[in-house]
Amino acid sequence: MQACGKNTAVREPVDVAAALARPKIDMHAHVWPMQGEAVSSSHLIACGARLGITEFWCSAPITGGRLAPIEEVRAHNDVILRAMERHPGRIRGMAFLIPGQPGVIEEAERCLGRGMIGFKLYNQYKLHDPVVEPIIKLATERRVPVLVHAAYLPAPEHQRQQPLTSHGADFAVASEKYPDALLIHAHIGGGGDWEWTLRALRDASPNVYVDVSGSNLDAGQVEMAVAELGAKRVLFGTDGTMAGSVGKVLDADLTEEEQDLIFWRNAARLLAEQGLAPLNMPRGDAQCSST
Amino acid sequence: MLVDVNCWLGHWPYRRLRDRTAEELVARLDYLGVTHALVSSIDSILYRNVQPANEDLAEALAPYGDRLFPVATINPNYAGWEDDLDAAAERLGARGVRLIPQYHGYDLDSPAAQRAAAACAERGLPVLVAHRIEDPRQRHHLDPGQTVGFGAAAALLRAVPNLQLIITNARGLFHSDFVRDPGLRDKAWYVDLSLAEVDYQLHRHPADRRDLGRALAYVGPAHLLFGTHLPFSYGAPALVKLETLELSEADRASIRFRTAARLFALPIP
Repeated sequence: MQACGKNTAVREPVDVAAALARPKIDMHAHVWPMQGEAVSSSHLIACGARLGITEFWCSAPITGGRLAPIEEVRAHNDVILRAMERHPGRIRGMAFLIPGQPGVIEEAERCLGRGMIGFKLYNQYKLHDPVVEPIIKLATERRVPVLVHAAYLPAPEHQRQQPLTSHGADFAVASEKYPDALLIHAHIGGGGDWEWTLRALRDASPNVYVDVSGSNLDAGQVEMAVAELGAKRVLFGTDGTMAGSVGKVLDADLTEEEQDLIFWRNAARLLAEQGLAPLNMPRGDAQCSST
Repeated sequence: MLVDVNCWLGHWPYRRLRDRTAEELVARLDYLGVTHALVSSIDSILYRNVQPANEDLAEALAPYGDRLFPVATINPNYAGWEDDLDAAAERLGARGVRLIPQYHGYDLDSPAAQRAAAACAERGLPVLVAHRIEDPRQRHHLDPGQTVGFGAAAALLRAVPNLQLIITNARGLFHSDFVRDPGLRDKAWYVDLSLAEVDYQLHRHPADRRDLGRALAYVGPAHLLFGTHLPFSYGAPALVKLETLELSEADRASIRFRTAARLFALPIP
């Protein structure tokens, strides 16, 4: 475990208004296939603007472990492509994929070709299942991140609902198979035992990241992520818990530099892997985007 | 001035909390700009006999008596709870009472809870009920991981009409009786800013983009208090929500401290 942060007793009181003006890349957001999807994406951007969120990485996954047909997967990704067209300076796409599906690699290529910047996997398969390999290999070749729905769910009633949801130990196994893949364990605040999963990630490759999103606002989770993995492997995401996710980083016992790594610099580094730069950076920040 | 109505002090058996002493809690409140806090006992959640926890809490808060105010826990299922309420109000300086039905083994709409709530109302003490203590999806196998239903909370308020009821950590308020039942609109019920998203939340339908924000649009900001659920939860999420809420200055002042000062009879202007 690495040292991080500084003692609360010596910190200046938080200036929330100033903190909201600092840039933030929300790398875990959604636009859903539903009537009113345009209203939904506009609302996402309007709410994010109040919090200093400069861009969103959006996906539209099929949840519940359902093995939906490729046509449905394409329709979900089309929702994101339309959102990218409506908001080209704000929304980037993460292609949702179901491993092993006929046509899945073609769908991945189609989405990358239309400007998406990564892949989103849900809980149809564990991350280390061999059926996932072609997707991870493609992602590694193209240097795009793979964001994976994840949680360690200790209670049997929750495990039964999501038997194939990956957790920290699954990421450690997968990253041993694919050490160069850019893998992101989604939402440490997504409801599982975040202490267990962060400890299990100790053995993962340095290319495994976590994001801080989720409705669980337990104090200490961001600090523990930084202590276990280092501040450069913790990403800012909201997954719909927008104010809560901003607040948890602000209240974490970290330095301002560590907070900025989480808020946007680490995401900027991931973008740089594929030759991209962050969007809408305030003047002065864009020059040091890959620090 | 900023009053946090939803603070706790003590040790939680399933996770090492970040700020476990009154001194650490005060340092955290200083960082967040919170001037006063209502503090409940974490130990009382699992003690069978909660009164020693109330005594410990009052002693721990005493050095900070001008800004930390105790909230005593009452278990209406336990022998002599009336004596605990007397001690809380008359000797320990409690400004409110916590009911913790999901850990003390009763329903919030049970006759026992109604009797306790009525006794609190008679004394002018607000009752605080946590919708949940921790996210049940991470529950330890010894933890029931249960939430308190809004239906039971609404039933309690109907049964004890002069009750001042504060539901902390509430999520999913919009579809509850508190918003849907016009008969409850003007009652003295309150929720805090700790866990619910005001402006944006995960949604699958355009109409569900907001929860607390939409609920407040129906019932008005008079039902809202500033609360964090420290030290279980981070405190700054509530600050961020307060900062981004579109409110009049008068409504903002009510949420920040005026309503809490009135409810808990706090010695602030």
